Amino acid sequence: MSDTAERVKKVAAETLKIDLSMVKDDSRFVEDLGAESILSVVLVAAFEEEFDIEMDEQGALGVKDVSTAVTFIEKHL
Amino acid sequence: MCPAVSNNLIAKATADGRGRERKWYTMGVISRFVEQAKAKAGSVVLPEGTDERIVQAARQIKDDGIADPILLGPADEVQEAAKQAGVSLDGIRVIDPKTSDKLESYTAVYAKAREMKPTIAARMVKRALFFGGMMVAQGDADTMVAGVAHATATVIQAGALTVGYAPGIETASSFFLMVIPDFQDQRDKPFIYADCAVNIAPTPAELADIALASHASGEKLLGEPARTALLSFSTQGSASHEHIDKVTSTLAIVKQRAADLHIDGEFQADAAIIPSVGAKKVKQPGPVVGNANVLIFPDLNAGNIAYKLTQYMANAQAIGPFLQGFAKPISDLSRGASAQDVVATTAICIAMT
Repeated sequence: MSDTAERVKKVAAETLKIDLSMVKDDSRFVEDLGAESILSVVLVAAFEEEFDIEMDEQGALGVKDVSTAVTFIEKHL
Repeated sequence: MCPAVSNNLIAKATADGRGRERKWYTMGVISRFVEQAKAKAGSVVLPEGTDERIVQAARQIKDDGIADPILLGPADEVQEAAKQAGVSLDGIRVIDPKTSDKLESYTAVYAKAREMKPTIAARMVKRALFFGGMMVAQGDADTMVAGVAHATATVIQAGALTVGYAPGIETASSFFLMVIPDFQDQRDKPFIYADCAVNIAPTPAELADIALASHASGEKLLGEPARTALLSFSTQGSASHEHIDKVTSTLAIVKQRAADLHIDGEFQADAAIIPSVGAKKVKQPGPVVGNANVLIFPDLNAGNIAYKLTQYMANAQAIGPFLQGFAKPISDLSRGASAQDVVATTAICIAMT
């Protein structure tokens, strides 16, 4: 488990106000973690803050689960 | 919820049915909204201020007195877009969200409202769509028109998270203003069709939101009281099926939430819009039967098919889609929108304020 993945999970849990143990490597933010679809942009901002990066808006819309978030973020690091 | 219809499918009335472009915002029904907008003297924030079409539209909006346009974006990039478009920015406000003196106050308001860390809120509010949404939410602009460079989903997100939904509404949806050139001896008869672009298979609660939001849109745009019909393949129990149950459940929710509004169903389309058919098929007539001017389709299949058939078979103007359900009007543009589309959309959004 990469450090990025652990941090993505922590940020997702904090942003969605759920227990960290619920966030798995393959968790989908909307379907599995109960995020409203409109909150994906909040998640993206929280990831930007955590990793001090700027994610392009259209690409970020494709970030729908933990693993794609990790891949997307690692490209920006 | 996600928008189901790509906004490059938007069939704004930019052509007359034979593909010829015309200055349509100065003609027909739209010209009425242009005049209404002029009388309101409102303001529109255009978050995609680095797009040439948006800058052109801002110039037109300003020069025609439709609204006070505010362009968002870095000043040098907006200036370059204006240069490329061959228009002047004289008298047009340009705001860079990242350096605006409003950024701090918007961030504070947003962070408090969303219970969010200010540092994360700042990242969101710096985005042009969110900054524009906050301008509308905070009363620094009357409406926001965006979408030439953003997906519909992104515009809806920004609207929902900044302007928020109208009281009692929890679903963003869309409507088309359909203008029928010759309807039952009436010239240029306007109808509202919803939802033809956003919600694929709304639940009864979501369909109720769509009906209530569309009714409100109809009240503002139709020039007569809205009469809203929930459409189905059954007229008040003439058939039974779970798809009809969905519509009757929707009506029950609507009646619970707003019993005094002229919203009724379930009706077949002919019973909804043709008085003689309505009189024949509906046992308990009311103001909506046979006289509906706001048509609510049970799902996106029906809505999208209906508006396109109407557009081409009745040579109707299909103007939209416009977003609805928000506390203040905001609108999504087609990525292929022309400057004229932006002007007309602005006029309609201002008319709805």
